[in-house]
Amino acid sequence: MARVLENIGKDLLKENGVPAPEFRVAATSEASRRAAEQIGCPVVVKALVTAGKRGKAGAVKFAEDPDEAAKIAENLLAMTVHNFPVERVLVERKLDISQELYVSITYDPVQMAPIIITSTAGGIDIEEIAAAHPEKILKYHVNILNGFNLYEAKEIWSDLGLKGSILQKATTILGRLYQLFVKYDCTILEINPLALTPNDELIAAAMLMGVDDDALYRQPYFSKKVEAGSDRAWRPLTVLEKKMIEVDKTEAYRGTARYTEMEGGNIGFFCGGGGGSLLSYDALLRFGGKPANYTEFGGNPPEAKVRGLVKGVLSKPGVQGFYMNLNITNNTQTDIVAKGIIGAFKDLNIDPGKFPAVLRLAGVHDAEARRLCTEAGLEYHGDDITMEDTARIMVEKMRKAFPGEAD
Amino acid sequence: MAILVDKNSKIVIQGITGREASMVTKHALAYGTKIVAGVTPGKEGQNVEGVPVFDTLKRACREFEMNTAVVYVPPAFAYDAVMEAIGNGIALIVIITERIPQQDAVRFIAATRQNNCTIIGPNSVGIITPADRVKLGAIGGDNAERCFVSGSVGVISRSGGMTAECAWMVKQAGFGVSTCVSIGGDAFIGSPPKEILRLFENDSATEAVVMWGEPGTRYEEDVAEFVNNKGFTKPLIAYIAGRFVETMPEGTVFGHAASMIEGDSGKPSIKMARLREAGCHVVENFNDVIPILQDAMA
Repeated sequence: MARVLENIGKDLLKENGVPAPEFRVAATSEASRRAAEQIGCPVVVKALVTAGKRGKAGAVKFAEDPDEAAKIAENLLAMTVHNFPVERVLVERKLDISQELYVSITYDPVQMAPIIITSTAGGIDIEEIAAAHPEKILKYHVNILNGFNLYEAKEIWSDLGLKGSILQKATTILGRLYQLFVKYDCTILEINPLALTPNDELIAAAMLMGVDDDALYRQPYFSKKVEAGSDRAWRPLTVLEKKMIEVDKTEAYRGTARYTEMEGGNIGFFCGGGGGSLLSYDALLRFGGKPANYTEFGGNPPEAKVRGLVKGVLSKPGVQGFYMNLNITNNTQTDIVAKGIIGAFKDLNIDPGKFPAVLRLAGVHDAEARRLCTEAGLEYHGDDITMEDTARIMVEKMRKAFPGEAD
Repeated sequence: MAILVDKNSKIVIQGITGREASMVTKHALAYGTKIVAGVTPGKEGQNVEGVPVFDTLKRACREFEMNTAVVYVPPAFAYDAVMEAIGNGIALIVIITERIPQQDAVRFIAATRQNNCTIIGPNSVGIITPADRVKLGAIGGDNAERCFVSGSVGVISRSGGMTAECAWMVKQAGFGVSTCVSIGGDAFIGSPPKEILRLFENDSATEAVVMWGEPGTRYEEDVAEFVNNKGFTKPLIAYIAGRFVETMPEGTVFGHAASMIEGDSGKPSIKMARLREAGCHVVENFNDVIPILQDAMA
């Protein structure tokens, strides 16, 4: 999923007929002051980051005048919200709110269908309300082949007790939100609160949106506006992670890899298959190993890509060993993988004789992989041992090479 | 007997002229699998390894009887290919294509519910039934016997690569496999593990099942409930990979919807606990699949 920043999401709401408050984006406290002057106080100042639950993290504040807006912005711009440094803030007109509604649309992984969750008791405590008063939450599955009819939206709000002109406005908005969800390949679209003002207006006061990474090819609107895979990160991508994405993009349709940097650790981790990598990492930890990073690759990558990826894995400071573990391959050519690894060792002038390394590389063309690795001085295993056995061997090898290091 | 694919499978490959699809066709034919036809628009009249290519599935169906389709077309065209298979009455559709947009997957899964057919995948590495020498997809490559020998243990895997490794562990334990199913690595797939277990329960050739599970989704929790309700009564040996993810810093949860739909499901430790409570053989270490399977089969 690619997380969409609130300013981009709100522009999209407005374009699609869903009212949202007037706002400006500001990168300095001075710009925030000007924004507050232009919009007119009171205003809300929010950290513009792709992390959720900003309200509870103290990253959403109200200002009565431009000076206060500037001061709040200064504080927010020095903050880190859920590991995301705040580089910009959203300065937005503060709404008079008489009631908070809640709407989210996502795909229910159990029913495998779109689900619309609504409540007339919205706000930052919606999860607690859902747990304590499930009757205040309405969940509705949409038959995606039939689409979502306006009468269904009307039934939802009517069942929740809305009446009169508000019922009609809420119906129109919910219909438009579903259309937007489908049109832009969203994986989640949440409006919380959908604010009811004393003038009986409904306005999307706060929202979040996630877009399907795999649908970005057909969503030009988001081009250069979102970062694919941003929901997986618990912090912004590191320099090396960004570099590895570039390596992965070369020959995009041949072999894929995903690289994540871990805190500390000394074993360079380059394992194969999504599932095989999970097993390998679990096994290293169990035997007392300390992986420095996590790379899963698969899908028959070309030699140059393997070489670039392995260089990245080995270049993380503190890496003193190399672990490559792969399930018996269906179509990945093991000799090509071996060549890429050997090339990376050469490029970095690492002597395989002095650098603990263990490889398990069984499958297509593995006689050649064995020959290449053995010649290069890398410890090679085929399907003579299990995947977990290689993790034990790797950790033992590290202990022997670095006996002084505590586990 | 077996499940899903056997000697009565009459197979068509959609997107057969692609690089990977033609290689896989070659390997499957060499293994003994009957591939009747292929479809690639604009390439009718060509053949791939002797298999005739048609512009449309409809034209292929006029010439041959078919009941199984393997989808190899690129993500942008996969939705239409699956609908084409459904529209032409294909009973089993195995989708190899990776990175299909979620919305498209949800749509064709909904379509199968209205049309009484079965989808395996997307993002499946295939299905194999060694007794009948039938394999769909890349599963087993050009040397299927290395991992997949005929026997009475079923395999269900959320990981394509680990489908082969699971079968190899079964072989190391001294047994073979009835059918191995790579169900696909995505969150939205046509046939979750519970549905495959339902088939294995009724398959006389299957005496036990090895299942590879992973973090996320509610698949394993659903399996535990299914076993509890006696939907599956044979020995089930389950391994859940990725326990370390529970010790990682959590990505900040984005929005409230997920917690309101899924609660705390998805954690490997919870999946393992539920399966254990249901009486499944949950192995701590993957190596233990071998002795536990030997015990279960004794």
